[in-house]
Amino acid sequence: MRVITIARNAFREAVRDRVLYNLVLFVLLLIAGAIFLGELSAGQETKIIIDLGLSAMLLFGVFIAIFVGVGLVYKEIERRTLYAILSKPIGRGQFLLGKYLGLCLTLLVNVGVMGIGVSLALIYIRRGWEPLAGRIWPAILLIYLELTIMTAVALLFSTFSSPALSALLTFFVFLIGHFSADLKTLADTNANGAARLLFRGLYYLLPNLTTYSVITPAAHGIAPGLQSIGLAIAYALVYSALLLAAATMIFSGRNFK
Amino acid sequence: MKKNLLLLTAIVLALITSVGLVHAIDARKPGSSSQPSDEPLYVSPATAKHLALAFNGIAADWYWMRSLQYVGGKIVAFEDTHPEDFTLADIDLHLLPALLRMSTTLDPQFIAPYEYAAMVVPEVNPDEAIALVNSGIANNPSSWRLYQHLGYIYWRRKDYEKSSACYSTGGKLPGAPAWMAAMGARMKAEGGSRDAAREMYRHLYESSNDPSVKEMVEKQLMRLDYLDQREAILGVLNSFKAANGRCAASWRDVAAQLRTAGLTLDPGTGAPLDPSSTPYELIKNGCDVGLDINTKVPFK
Repeated sequence: MRVITIARNAFREAVRDRVLYNLVLFVLLLIAGAIFLGELSAGQETKIIIDLGLSAMLLFGVFIAIFVGVGLVYKEIERRTLYAILSKPIGRGQFLLGKYLGLCLTLLVNVGVMGIGVSLALIYIRRGWEPLAGRIWPAILLIYLELTIMTAVALLFSTFSSPALSALLTFFVFLIGHFSADLKTLADTNANGAARLLFRGLYYLLPNLTTYSVITPAAHGIAPGLQSIGLAIAYALVYSALLLAAATMIFSGRNFK
Repeated sequence: MKKNLLLLTAIVLALITSVGLVHAIDARKPGSSSQPSDEPLYVSPATAKHLALAFNGIAADWYWMRSLQYVGGKIVAFEDTHPEDFTLADIDLHLLPALLRMSTTLDPQFIAPYEYAAMVVPEVNPDEAIALVNSGIANNPSSWRLYQHLGYIYWRRKDYEKSSACYSTGGKLPGAPAWMAAMGARMKAEGGSRDAAREMYRHLYESSNDPSVKEMVEKQLMRLDYLDQREAILGVLNSFKAANGRCAASWRDVAAQLRTAGLTLDPGTGAPLDPSSTPYELIKNGCDVGLDINTKVPFK
């Protein structure tokens, strides 16, 4: 219950901070795309609207996860509201989990509205029902799961670092997470045993975000299988839980006197 | 209120000044031109795919649109300096294969660039066109349309054996229409015939969603019809010459025969109309027929 209250407050705070205003920019982007791409793309506007819409969804989402995520804890410390919260019967883990869920809810609303926007744009282009408007939703789910992982990463860094450094580190994790296949290749092909071990360790330690990169197949109407989606959900849950546990451990050790 | 008005005026003035300054800077830039850039791509397609992270789809779209703009811009620039009829082979489009290669490497399932490569790149670099479509087949082995396009490229090279093999192989794929296998057989038997060409273009027209490809195919179909009409008209003109010992002085001399040959005539002049409904010209003192300068039928 306490966790839900903190989550609800975190969501309200994000709305008050006008985080959802990015939706206006997104809608403008889609409208411009739907109107002008027919002229520029030689009949490929459906594919381009999906690529554009889902890519913007991921990019905007990552920026929200990073820039709002790194401030979740820091702002409470800066404003000294954290002392009031922690003086109540609320554990530090509960506080972090509530903050995390609040931002995840914000991202869910954001991604959901954007997804509806992309589907409507596809229907507008076709001037009728477009099967891809439904088939993109598994890809949207995976984008959302990637954002929940990035939120957990941002929250972890924000428990021990400044917002600027946390944002930078989270962005690096996002980049490396998309190069995870290369880490595996490096681990498999390196002749040096220690290097092999290092790259293999990094491959398992850092988030494997390539699992969630299905925007391009989605634009061709190829949806990931149920098993892939199930594994992706399980990985996002386990990895986020791991990061939140680590964040709680660090946050519990901090002295706020 | 007064302060806000002052600030608003300052903003508008600064904006106008900055637009003027950008114009002035652009005018002084060496080599600034509205023509499409021929600057080579410095990043290899494989590296670009790596760097694109999860955004390779939108990057592929960008290079696809850039390819279209590149060809369109080059055609417009060429038209300005060469008012006479021309084909794509006359224009320097050397960067096009690289742009299409970039797009297809970023998104190997993107079929449109392969189709475009099959229709346009043979004019620039036939081997590169074959390589591009072959890579498309390797990445999309179930796409019969790519076999159709590969067959088309080989047909243009007059390699009817390979063209036939492509149509036959594509015809065996699930979902391929029956005419693919039939085209395979036809290419083998009469690859160089005009009827085979007409059928092939008709299928290309029906299977393509790209307006520029459709336009190109329409022109080729018009050209094939023109060649048929030209043969018929020459037959009529030669018969007239054999019967009268001279060439026709005007189209009216041969109007009845032209009508019998199935040609549509211009009601005013009696001249036969070409596939774009433009009257033909009687040339070489009435012994030969030529296209009017205003026709939409390609000269080459």
